[in-house]
Amino acid sequence: MTDVVFLVVSLLTVFFAILALESRELVYGAVALSLSFLGAAALFILLDSIFIAIFQVLVYVGSIAILIVFVIMLVRRDKWANVTGGNERILGIIAAVLLFSTITYFSLSSSLTSQYPNPTAISNFYEIGSQLINDYWLILQLTGLALAVSIIGALTMAKFENR
Amino acid sequence: METFEEFVKRILIILFWFILISPLIIFPILFLVVGFLGIDVTIVNEILTATIDPIKAYKLAERYGLGFNSTFFKIAAFPGFTFAALVATLTILYERKLMAKAQLRVGPLYAGRFEGILQPIADLFKLLGKELVVPEKADKMFFWAAPILSIGLAASLLAVIPLSPTIYIARSEFSLLIPFAIIGFSPLVVLIAAWASSNKFAFIGGLRALHQLAAYEIPMLLSILGIVILTGSFDLMKIVEAQKDMWFIFPQFLAAIIFYITILSELERIPFDLPEAETEIVSGWLTEYTGMHFGLLQLGVYMKFYALALLFTLLFLGGWNGPAFLPPIVWLLGKLFFVITIIIFPRAVLPRLRMDQLIRIGWAWLIALSFINLFIAVIESSLGVI
Repeated sequence: MTDVVFLVVSLLTVFFAILALESRELVYGAVALSLSFLGAAALFILLDSIFIAIFQVLVYVGSIAILIVFVIMLVRRDKWANVTGGNERILGIIAAVLLFSTITYFSLSSSLTSQYPNPTAISNFYEIGSQLINDYWLILQLTGLALAVSIIGALTMAKFENR
Repeated sequence: METFEEFVKRILIILFWFILISPLIIFPILFLVVGFLGIDVTIVNEILTATIDPIKAYKLAERYGLGFNSTFFKIAAFPGFTFAALVATLTILYERKLMAKAQLRVGPLYAGRFEGILQPIADLFKLLGKELVVPEKADKMFFWAAPILSIGLAASLLAVIPLSPTIYIARSEFSLLIPFAIIGFSPLVVLIAAWASSNKFAFIGGLRALHQLAAYEIPMLLSILGIVILTGSFDLMKIVEAQKDMWFIFPQFLAAIIFYITILSELERIPFDLPEAETEIVSGWLTEYTGMHFGLLQLGVYMKFYALALLFTLLFLGGWNGPAFLPPIVWLLGKLFFVITIIIFPRAVLPRLRMDQLIRIGWAWLIALSFINLFIAVIESSLGVI
């Protein structure tokens, strides 16, 4: 039963992801993108980590998809709608295949395949919080710093453009 | 010229005679056909008596897993969709009467004998009777999808919000977060409705709604985090239980104010009704919708109203806690009525904000205030207020 649900959900996710890239109408693309994010959230629910699923919906659908919609609505369409075919397409395909095969090779040759996380530790969000604060506090702080720097940079750029 | 009351009376009389006469004419014919075809008569008999006898109908429904305790009943009737739609409809009537009284008008008066009490039914008949106009240049699929998505979104908000310790649809450890995750979709639905209409007013309204909803979702989520810090839980049941001695509106007064303002903005009510400002852009993103399309969109908005008012009651006003001489659900509905009143009232007395004021309040003031509120919550929890 779970396998059927998993298959349907992952097929839908991939289908909407392709639709998001390939659809002519940008608004269709944005809606398809948010549906594909939703499919990823459903995959997290199937993995029994509902907390991460909720945050997937909150962050990706609630913020990132909406930001993309903002950009689509505010930028004039004729500026970037004409994609020229030819060499760029082939180069893109080659780059994607190279990236995919590299990631697959390294993840298969690493020790990831033999490690199984403890299921009780994943579903408990208190555990996530204490691990973030105790074990990974440096990465957390660095991520926060990177975000703050990018926000300040964006603000300065906006200020300069106004002048 | 018949009044609405006479119209309802006429329909009821027709129904009455139909129910009275149908056993005399339809049932014998049905039994003849059933006997001729050789179907087991007892099953047909059971179903037919159930159409007349409510007790037997209930027993029949219970046998097929549709009784009062079944999941289907909870989702479809109480405390799910039908109850929420009923509250939403009554809210519309209450809003019109209250606004009229506040502005020294009379409001709906002629439908029904007492103060226009049948006005929602009259509105329903009017909306059902109207033609569904789909603009020629509209995107047909999205245009039809928007009302359905709107009402589906509003209904799914109710899935994890409990009404009392025993009355709830589903329990979740994260029942506080799930409604906010669902609310995150609402800008997308507004955008679909606005874009599909291919109308300038609708599009401007949709853009305004995007700006507004994106700006006010962040303080909405930040303002409730104080409560999460105080209780250490995302479970609404535990949050309400923690308010047995003191309602959270007292230690978290700032959060209550921020949450109230963001509710007003999320529901696009005056003073935050820029997306559908009637005097500027016809009716905003609702411009092209007619008939039952419009009805469904409105019902979706008012069901969201009910869900958010319920959340305010549960988070800040102690939910179903109260003296024991009344059942918990009565306390909850009483507080809910009060919250609905204070959410409606600004519409009767306040003017509309400008766009720059709206954005400034959202990004500059409310987010900063909700961070201050977070500090207050941390200090309170370290002092052991709760």
